[in-house]
Amino acid sequence: MKVEDLANLVIRACEAEALDYMVTGAFAFGFYGIPRSTKDVDLVISMGASDAISRIISRLEPEVEFGTQVQFDTLTWGRRHVGRSRANPPLQVELFELFDDPFVRQQFARRRQLFSNQLNQVTWLPTPEDVIVQKLRWGRNKDLDDARDVLAVQGPETLDMPYIENWCTMHGTTERLQVALAAIPPM
Amino acid sequence: MANPHANPEALRELQDAIYRDKVLRARAMTPDQRFAAVCELTNGVFERMHEGAMWQLNTTDPQVGWAEVRRRMERLTKTQEFGYYTTEKPSRT
Repeated sequence: MKVEDLANLVIRACEAEALDYMVTGAFAFGFYGIPRSTKDVDLVISMGASDAISRIISRLEPEVEFGTQVQFDTLTWGRRHVGRSRANPPLQVELFELFDDPFVRQQFARRRQLFSNQLNQVTWLPTPEDVIVQKLRWGRNKDLDDARDVLAVQGPETLDMPYIENWCTMHGTTERLQVALAAIPPM
Repeated sequence: MANPHANPEALRELQDAIYRDKVLRARAMTPDQRFAAVCELTNGVFERMHEGAMWQLNTTDPQVGWAEVRRRMERLTKTQEFGYYTTEKPSRT
């Protein structure tokens, strides 16, 4: 199974269950930054009903084996459900529940609908500004590189920098933003 | 050509030139082309991992190779995610 086929499966499962979603992770980053490989397909899903995630997982179960335990990220304590494709290659699927975090809520509200030729369907992605804010917030080496790359490829002059700076102030990540901007050589 | 590692300024210039090239190539692509490149790179990386695992295990059985890739991916995920995810949420949060 190719990664785009797996992404399609997950997106179609959300649509079949009439659940709002957005694609995050390397797919969202790749749309705005320097493309790189990934090992997973990540989606944030709006929980319309309490059984929303279990319905999605049931739909995907023939193709994706999910763990029985929900996981929490140690930064925001958001809930994550992780599965791995049964077919090869062993790609990971990560489903994040939309929750009451002010930034995550706003990021989701601002998501954009785009048509992807690769997926041959319309899909939802966060804005480049929100990808940058999220990456700076997480702050792992890979995230900081990704944030710098989106800033470099898009160009700060095309981005809503006051929006980014505002969230960075709230998250205490202003210094990370400054370091990312300083690392971009003149184009 | 002089060794750029002997000269920090020259090394920085070289690093900047390589990075600038990557950025300009990404800018020359449409968002959809970049999206497609993520897929192509990912599929290619897994093919290379599979070939490498089969070579290391000295096997001609593709399933043995995939089982090894699966094992490696599980180990890699655990290593990369250590400390970032947990199965228990503290009661105070």
